[in-house]
Formats: sequence, C-alpha cells, structure tokens
Amino acid sequence: MVLLEASGIRKTYPGVVALDHIDLTLEAGKVHILAGENGAGKSTLIKTLAGLVKPDEGTLVIDDEDALRDHKLFRRVAYVPQELNLFPYLTVAENMFMPFARSGFGRITVSEKAMEQKAESFIARFGIHARPNQKIAEISVPDQQLLQIARAATQENFGVMILDEPTSSLTARETERLFRIVNDLRAQGVAIVFVSHKMEEIFTLGDTVTVLRNGRSVGSFAMEGMTEGELIRLMSGSTVKLDEQFQPAPSSRTGETILTVEHLTGPGFEDISFELKRGEILGFAGLVGTGRSEIMQAMFGFRKVQSGHVVLDGKLIAPNRPDKAVRSGMVYLSEERKHHGIFPMLSVRENISLAVTRNIAKAGVISPRRENALVREIIAQFDVRTSSPAKKIMFLSGGNQQKAIIGRAMALKPRLLIFDEPTKGIDIGTKFQIYRIMQRLAEEGIGIILVSSEMSELQRCATRIVTLYSGRIKGSFDHETTEISTLVASIIGSPETSHVA
Amino acid sequence: MSHDTPAPHDSAAALPQPTTRARLKSVASNPLFGVVIALIVIFVLSSTLSSNFLTAFNMKIIARSLAFVGLVTIGQAILMILGELDLSVGAIGGLAGVAGGIFMVQAGLDPWLSLVLCLALGTGCGLLNGLLITKLRLHSLVLTIGMAGVYGGANLVLTKGVAITGIPGSISFLGRGMVFGMPVPFVILLLCLVLVSFVMIRTPLGRYIYAIGSNNAAARMLGIRVDAIRVCAFAAAGFLSALAGILMVARLGTAQPSIGDTWVLAPIAAAVIGGVATTGGLGSPFGAVLGAVIIGIIENVIVLFGISPYWQSIVSGGIVVVAISFDALARRYFNRES
Repeated sequence: MVLLEASGIRKTYPGVVALDHIDLTLEAGKVHILAGENGAGKSTLIKTLAGLVKPDEGTLVIDDEDALRDHKLFRRVAYVPQELNLFPYLTVAENMFMPFARSGFGRITVSEKAMEQKAESFIARFGIHARPNQKIAEISVPDQQLLQIARAATQENFGVMILDEPTSSLTARETERLFRIVNDLRAQGVAIVFVSHKMEEIFTLGDTVTVLRNGRSVGSFAMEGMTEGELIRLMSGSTVKLDEQFQPAPSSRTGETILTVEHLTGPGFEDISFELKRGEILGFAGLVGTGRSEIMQAMFGFRKVQSGHVVLDGKLIAPNRPDKAVRSGMVYLSEERKHHGIFPMLSVRENISLAVTRNIAKAGVISPRRENALVREIIAQFDVRTSSPAKKIMFLSGGNQQKAIIGRAMALKPRLLIFDEPTKGIDIGTKFQIYRIMQRLAEEGIGIILVSSEMSELQRCATRIVTLYSGRIKGSFDHETTEISTLVASIIGSPETSHVA
Repeated sequence: MSHDTPAPHDSAAALPQPTTRARLKSVASNPLFGVVIALIVIFVLSSTLSSNFLTAFNMKIIARSLAFVGLVTIGQAILMILGELDLSVGAIGGLAGVAGGIFMVQAGLDPWLSLVLCLALGTGCGLLNGLLITKLRLHSLVLTIGMAGVYGGANLVLTKGVAITGIPGSISFLGRGMVFGMPVPFVILLLCLVLVSFVMIRTPLGRYIYAIGSNNAAARMLGIRVDAIRVCAFAAAGFLSALAGILMVARLGTAQPSIGDTWVLAPIAAAVIGGVATTGGLGSPFGAVLGAVIIGIIENVIVLFGISPYWQSIVSGGIVVVAISFDALARRYFNRES
C-alpha cells in the first residue's frame, strides 16, 4: 500500500538547485533508505516530505490526496530531525507530549500525573533510561535521541516516520535498541524513511534505497542483491576502493618525537600519558563519554587540567591557554562543528581567513586582495563547494563546512593536528578525501591524532591506536598486528582489568 | 535525459536566473537596509511637514545633540557585536564629566591635562568592568547594572548632587565651537566613527570581534585571545563614554551630575535600529550611529511640532518600535523561504 507519493519535486534556492525532479514512493511496512553524499539534497527532500519546505514544482500525495493543497495531511508524517531539539529544563513527559493540545493533555490545565503515566509506556517501548519526571538536562544524550523518536511516535495515527541520521550520537547498544524499534514500527505497517551514511545500518534495515546525487535522483533500488560497492558507486558516481588504506608511508617515520603527554589529569580523565612520533597517525578509540574529547581539549588548553603536562616539539604547552597552544602549532578540530567550529553568521571567506589575519594584513591592515587570493586557494585545494566565498557558512552542507574548517586549520601551518570525529555526518566520498589529507599531512611530518568511534576509520588510517576506558588509557595497539575484536574488547573494559573510576 | 551522471558543474547551467525579487532580497539582507529606508522616510516626512526642519540652523542643533549619544552608541555597538552589553556607560560618562569639573575647577589643573585624566578615568572604569566580567566570569548585563550604581554613586558622593560651575573657557571650543561649518562634537563623532569602522572592517582585531560575537567557543578554539579582546572592548566603550561626558561639560560650561542619565537605553535602541543583533556577530558601528540619527531626528521633530513634553516619550518610543518592526518584517518578507 502506498502511503506517500512524491513526483517531480523541484526546489531551488538562489544560486542552487536543491532538488531536481525527484520521484519517491513510500509504502506501508517498508524501510526506505535515503542515501547520498552531503549536499545531495537529502535534508531538503525530507523536509519537503514533512511539509516544512514547500516545493517549487511537483506533487505530493498522502493517502491519495494532494498534501500541498491540504496541509493537514502532513500530520500523517512524523519527522525526527537529526539535531536534538528538546527543552532542557522541562521533564521527559512534558517534552514527549509537547504541544499539549496535540496530545490531548492540555485542554485547560495540564495533568502531570496522566501525562507521566502515559509517558511510562513510551519510555518502556523505546527503552529509554529515564523517569517521566526527570529533566532532559539530567538524562544522557543517547536517551535524548531516543526520546526524540518517542516524541514523534506520540503523534496520533502517523503513517510515515522520517528518521534523519538517528544513530549519529548513539553507541552500539542503543543503536541495537533503535533497530528493534524500527523493526517494530515496520511490522505495524509504518512507512519509514531512514537517512544514514553507515553501510551496516543501510544493509541491516533497508528494504528499498533511493540514491540522490547533486539534487537529482539516481534511482530507487531494492536492497536485495545490492552490494556495498555498488551503493557507494551510485552515491559518489565513482568507484571508491573499499579496502583502501591511508596509513602514512613507513619511510616518513624518523623516530623523532613530536608530542609527549605525561600524567595528564583533569575532570573526566586520569593519568593520561602517551607519545606521538613523526609520521604517525595516532588513533584514539573509546566509547562515547569516556573522556576522549575532554583529554584532547585539556591538552589544547580549552579545558582545565589538574596536573600533568604536554610537550610539543620540546616546548612545554601552557595550560588553559588555547591561544598559546595554537601559537605553538597545536590545532584542535572539534567534533562539535556547530558549537566549536564555524562562525555561522560570517561568510565562508571570513571563516577561513580568520585564522590567518596576520598573514593577509599589511602593517596591521587587512588586504582584501591577499585575503581573496588565500581564501580562493583554500577553497580550491580542499574542494569546498560554495556558490560564492561571500555566502554565509551556515548555508553550506556539513561536509563542506568541515572541509572549510580543515582548510582553515591548514592555513595555520600546524605542527600537530587533532581531528576529533572528523567524519561525523559526512559522506563516503568526502570521508576518503579527509583520510587522504590526513595521510599527506602525516607524511609531510605533521603530527596527527585521530579520535574516532568508528573502528573501521581507525583501522583505515591510524598507525597506532590508544584505547580509553572510563577516563583512563587501557592499552596501545599497533595497527598491523591488531584485530578489531581486540580493540572492541579493550574499549568496553573487558574482562580482567575492568576498572571503575 | 541523455546523460545520467551529471558532473557537479552541470547544475550551474540550470541555475535560476536572478529575479528582481532575488536582487531585492540581496539588498534587503544587508543589515543597513532597514535603517537607511527608515532614515529616508523620516527625513522626507519631517522636511515636508515642517518648514523649520531642513534649515542649516536646525541641522546644526541635531548634529550637536547627536554627537554625545552617538559616541556612546559607537562603544555600545562594539560591545553588542561582541555579544556583550554595558549598562554603566551613562554612569561612566557622568562620572568622567564631574571628575573633569573637579580637576579643572576645584584642583585647578590645566584643562587639557584634566581632559586626558577624565578619558583615562573612563577607560579605567571600562577596563574594570571588563576585568571583573572576564576574570570572575560574570554576565556583563548583571555586572554593569551593579557598576552603574557604583559609578553613579561615586558621582553623587563627589558632587553631593550639585553642578560644578566655572569650567574654564579654553575648552568650551570643544563643546560649542564650529569647524568646516560643523559643530566640533559632531566632527569628533565622525572621526571616531571612521576610525572605529576602519578597525572593525579592515584589521584583525575587528574581525576577531565579529568572530567572538558569532561563536565565542569557536573563537577560543581558533586561538583568538577572547578575554583580552573583551576587556579591550569594555575599555574602549568606557573611553568613548568619558569623551562624550567631557564634551558635554565643555558644551554646558558646568559639570552636571545628571550628565549621562539618558545615555543607557537610547544607544542600545539606536544600535538595534541600525542592524546590530542583540545576540552578537552582526551589524556595524556605522549602522548604529545611523540609528542614533533617527532617534535624534525624532526628538528634534517632536520639539519642532510643539508636541506636549508629556507625550514625547510615547511618540519617540513608538517610532522606535515601528522602525524595528518595519525592518524585521521586510527581512522576513524577503527571506520567507529560507
């Protein structure tokens, strides 16, 4: 049974064709994967399906009626955005049933009790670890993510559920829970749209896949008989070698020490010591919340350090001074692109040139000519796709924002680059571009640290992998002699040395 | 379709041609759009409705009275772009003004030396605000409410609420004189505006201020010395307020304790009218001063039309609301889809 049918959807924004005559059919009881690189038009398409974006052309039929004419029909579509948008100081139950009028709890007064009772059933069904009367700020991020999905499911008689990269901040165990939920919904006859970059998810869940590329549909295919290589080829338009490795060439290893960290201790981590040698890509593995980012940010001076020290190129790095860390050549690229990376209201040009204002200034005055030349060079070199350098960076896709930020970091000519989850939410083609950049830099003698929760990423790039568990270093493994299973065992703290901080 | 794998550049051929609407939109997205339109409307209306408006004499009056609030507005605009706010700028202006009176009259210091001391005092007050905010990690709004009380109180302690008269004539030129046919305070305002605008647009420091206002954490991650810049900005705002204060003393010929009382809210309103975002990162000191011009014209017109002083506040407040609503509506109209 067809629940939703979109045909000939076209949407343009000034300077871009976001969607070009897209056709899509959603059937009850099927998981429809939406795949494509960043900027392919996935976000615009799902927002169109959810009724949040009005297409310029095309028809959208829900339950055999024209939804573009009767906006009420979009109530049949439950949409779970990728970003968390909950009310941090309201309770789990309140968040679940907001707005109250929709859920029938707020005719005149809101009955906390009835609401919390009803919330219980959703909490159980979605396996959320929280009490109905807990504030959102008190529950974990993965639970918040699941709550967002539960909230969408409270919408009465929805027929379509759209999940936009729902697993991006979930650990393996929560991902499994989510899969069970998706399977339940499918069994109940819900049509599910699932946006993902992760191959295992796509192949575990999908019934059908529609691939977008540059705003056009490459086609819809049954997942049966689809191979990983074929899907990647459809998404990127080119062949990517799946077994390609990105370790720097052994000849670039000279044994020279770039970075030494000794007994670093601070909130969330304890007694961290390690060394980084020239020509290495040092991987950091650990579950979400084991202090990976905290350690990196403390090294960089962005977070407080209680004891221990960091030595880069033989020079001690002053604690709590990111400006000094940058000046001594340490650059940190945060996992939180939005909060720690981009300056949303500034142009792509300003975002890039900010790091090197001194190089483009003559006698303290910025030269627009030099600035433009430098920015153009970086945009070309790192393949940042933007209609103009004057465009505000917040209007670029995630992958292009990331490339702009890496380009900016490179303009600083760093000695040590820390990549914290550099490919989060980024398509395969761009991912491999980023791996190649890391490899090249390491071979040029720049120290690279790669923090990642994707084992395959660490296996592909790192020469050595440090595992973390509960804020401490658990082990250090050579890439060539280590199996993924050994690493996984180490990061989940099993078995003999399991340790509670 | 003949080829099913378009290269990324293919889509450029299918790009929509820029429509009139798109062109209007790009003009409307300029932060100065609203304030310039509003200024033109108000200017034309005032000129047609009152024959006394567009006269050299009246223009001088507007220019002279604009100068003081204008200087404070520049300082406040810098802070707002940075994502901060200083509610003690008026109190700093008043304190610097009466300190000038004390230096010149009661201590008998040289007027020019007194002027320098006043500016140093104002800069020091701003510096203190900035240091307290950055070192103790206080919210600027709350801290400066408190500091406004401290500086305002110091003013009253020093003067006991009584104006200091007998300001030497040698500095009255700064408040009352004319150069190039323009009142001196107005010329000083223009000089400051040109200098600050240049710093904001063409120097690393200016870029950093926009960056911090747009995303404080990202600025820190990039190695920008966020706290140092914040302290400097507060000091600059203190300096500009003190300058306004001492110019006001020079103009009046007496050091009134009440100088600066009206310099708190008007500059913030002016900055918002002029396109400075209350959340930081957007706008310019130039736009903010244009906002101050609008407020100045409105106040002038109210007097010209002989509107009852009891109604003045309602009229000027109402027009401010209309001006920012118009700006917001125009923006929303042109950005409807995104």
